[in-house]
Amino acid sequence: MRFKLITVVALALLAGCATPPPPEPGSAASKVVAMGKLKNIVVGAMRVARENGFMTVNAQLSNTSYNNKTFYYRFAWLGPEGFPVAEEETWKSQMMYGEQTSFIQAIAPTAKAVDFRLEIKTP
Amino acid sequence: MFARFSFIAVIALLASGCANTSPTLGSKNISYGDTKAVETVTNEFGSTDLQMIAESMTRSLAQSGILQGRPVVQVYDVKNKTSEYIDTREITTSIKTQLMKSGVARFASDNTAMQSQVDQLKLQNQSGLYKKSTVAKTGNMIAAQYRLEGSISSIVKRSSDYKDVFYKFSLQLIDVESGLAEWMDEKEIRKTTER
Repeated sequence: MRFKLITVVALALLAGCATPPPPEPGSAASKVVAMGKLKNIVVGAMRVARENGFMTVNAQLSNTSYNNKTFYYRFAWLGPEGFPVAEEETWKSQMMYGEQTSFIQAIAPTAKAVDFRLEIKTP
Repeated sequence: MFARFSFIAVIALLASGCANTSPTLGSKNISYGDTKAVETVTNEFGSTDLQMIAESMTRSLAQSGILQGRPVVQVYDVKNKTSEYIDTREITTSIKTQLMKSGVARFASDNTAMQSQVDQLKLQNQSGLYKKSTVAKTGNMIAAQYRLEGSISSIVKRSSDYKDVFYKFSLQLIDVESGLAEWMDEKEIRKTTER
């Protein structure tokens, strides 16, 4: 009985230590590049559309803290081969109120963009 | 003999260890930074504001669908209605560059480049210096279908604890023939300093 209990605890600890599986290709999570651990900012659903030939992205973000939080973000626009099709965007600073859910919108600089990455960082 | 060789080897090793292999020269206090970083040195108009305005305006205009068939656009200087000095030509240059790169518009000579354009045409046609077959003919310049003009204004508020600056940048695309504003957008930026 004691051995069983130890085994269960050990397995539970091992499962806790295991690294989470990588996000599925094409999923919203696979488009997010978090630079370091994101503190209180959670990236949610993303809507991707093509309007007048230009890719547009709308991403939902939530502040899980009761306090106002600032984060930095920018988008990288990629071509069919997965390489950037435009120069790096400028970093943007965004403030979110405590427990707020908000959206950030971006438009690709060129019609050649077919994919994107959202680079995000908290201070 | 061995001792002498060892001594020379040690000296050579020490000398090479001291050599500067870094491709830099000068003071360690100076470094190159990220040109796209969020700049918050002061709350005056800065590089991040310029980049954000140009980025937001060009993408909004390019995606609007107004610029079908790469029309010719004439860019006018942005009017600076703020209380501070801003090189607004840099805003228009950035907007023009980004629109050009996105391939949605062509640009006619603007008011600053027009004099150089006219001078060059006169020189080619009137000086008699050039081979006739290579001379650019007059009367073939392409007139602009649209003109792009904008303004930047600010509201500054100060108290003993805060300085708040609110910038508003507006840009509009006007059809030259009809005089109608076909597209318009604005970008607002708030910068607050707590003392």
